[in-house]
Amino acid sequence: MSQLYDARLAIEKKIQTDGLNAADVKGKIGLKSGKLLALITATSPDDPVVLAKLRQAAKEVLNLNL
Amino acid sequence: MKWNLIRTKVIAAMFVSLVLGVVGTVALMQYSFSRNSEALALESVSGAQRLFGILEAREVSKMTSVSDTLALNPQVRDALAAKDRHRLMDLTAPLYSQLDKEGITNWMFHTPEPDMTVFLRLHNPSKFGDHLNRFMDKKAMQTHAIVTGNELAKAGFAVRILRPIFDDHSAVTGYVEFGEELGQFIHAMKKQTGDDYGLLLSKKFMDKQSWADSTAVWKRRNNWDDNPNFVVADKTTGSDSIIQFDGDLSSLPGSGKVLERFQDGDSVFIRGLFPIINAAGETVGAMFVVRDISGFYLKMQKTQAVLISVAVVSLTLGTVLILVLLNSLVFSRLRSIISTATHVVGGGYDSAIKVSSDDEVGQIEMLFEQFRSVFVDVLSHVPELQEKR
Repeated sequence: MSQLYDARLAIEKKIQTDGLNAADVKGKIGLKSGKLLALITATSPDDPVVLAKLRQAAKEVLNLNL
Repeated sequence: MKWNLIRTKVIAAMFVSLVLGVVGTVALMQYSFSRNSEALALESVSGAQRLFGILEAREVSKMTSVSDTLALNPQVRDALAAKDRHRLMDLTAPLYSQLDKEGITNWMFHTPEPDMTVFLRLHNPSKFGDHLNRFMDKKAMQTHAIVTGNELAKAGFAVRILRPIFDDHSAVTGYVEFGEELGQFIHAMKKQTGDDYGLLLSKKFMDKQSWADSTAVWKRRNNWDDNPNFVVADKTTGSDSIIQFDGDLSSLPGSGKVLERFQDGDSVFIRGLFPIINAAGETVGAMFVVRDISGFYLKMQKTQAVLISVAVVSLTLGTVLILVLLNSLVFSRLRSIISTATHVVGGGYDSAIKVSSDDEVGQIEMLFEQFRSVFVDVLSHVPELQEKR
C-alpha cells in the first residue's frame, strides 16, 4: 500500500472514531489538499507534494498528525 | 476577519465609502459656509458703500438746493459783493442755526479770486481771512460752476458743495460753501442697517495740529496716536478692538475689501472696508464696516448638523441595505454552493444544488449542478472505486 492510501485510511478512521460527517470533512480536506480522497486507492503512487498537502489539510481540519 | 473573502473586502469598501461620504459632506458644508460668509461679507461692504453713496448724493442735493436759493437772495448777494461781513452774518445766522440741526455743520463764504480767502465762517465766525487752497477751491475758480465732493479741511472731513455767487453783471462776487461732516453719515447708516461703522482718515492728508484743534472744537478726545497710519474720525461702536487695520488705505480697491471673520465672545462678526475718495480722486480715508453674523452663523451650524446627520444616517442605511442585498443575493448562495461542493467532493454525491434563481449566481448553481451530475457519473465508472461506492 502507498503512504497516500495509508493517510486516507487514517483520516477515515479518525472521522469514524469522532463521529463526524464524513462527506463534509472529506470534502474540506479534499479542497484544502487539492486531492479528492475518493480518488486515492491502494494502488495510487506516492507523490511527496500531494502527501505533504494532505498531511497539512488533515492537521488543519481534524488536528490529526499523519 | 478574513481579508481573502469578497464579503470582507466589500464591507471594508462600503465602510471607507461611508467615511468618505461623511467627511465629504462635512467638507462641502464647511466650504459652503465659508463661501456664504464671504458673499455676506462682500454684500455688507458693497451694501454699505451703496448706502454711503446714496446718503452722500442726497445731502449734496440738499446743500445744492439751499445754495441755489441763497444765490437768488439779493440781500445776501449785495452783502457779499459789498464785503460787509456783519450784514452777511446777520442775514444768514438765523438760517445757519436751522441748517446746523439738519446736519449742515459747515457754512462758509469765500472772497472771489485771485485771493479766495475765507470771508465768513458761520460755524466759527471769529476765524476768517485764511487761505484754504483746496482742490475744490481751485476747480471752482477755474469753472465758475458748482463743485461737489468730499474734502478734508481743518475742521474735519466733510462732503461739500462750493458755488459761485454772481452779481447782476454775471461777475463772481464770492463763493458760498456748505458742508456736512462725513462722520454723521455712519450714525444714519447704523440706524438703517444695524451694522457698525468707523470712518478712518489717512494721516498722509492730515495735519496733527489741525486735528488736535478740530477735536478741541468738537470736544472730542484727540486720538491721533491711536493708530500709526490713520485716525478714527468717528465710529458707531464703543469698542476700539473691532476697528483694526494694518494696511495702507490708499491701496484699497475701489469696490472695497473684506478683511476677515472673527469671534468676540458668543458673537461672530465679519469686517471689511471701502475707500473714501475726495474731490480730487484721492483715497483719503476709508469706511470700516462690521456686521454681526451670529444669527446666520448659528443657522448655518444647525443646518450643517442636520445635513451631516442626514448624510450619516442615509449613507449608513444605504450601506446596510447594499450589504443585506449582497448577502442574500450573492454571499449566502455562494456559501451554499461551497458547502454542497465540499460535501460532494467529500463523497456526498447525492447532495444536489438547488437552483434558486436565473440570475448570475443561479446560472453558476445550474452549471455546478450539471458538473456535479457529470462528476458523480464519471466516478461511478472508475473501476478502482467500485468497491468503495
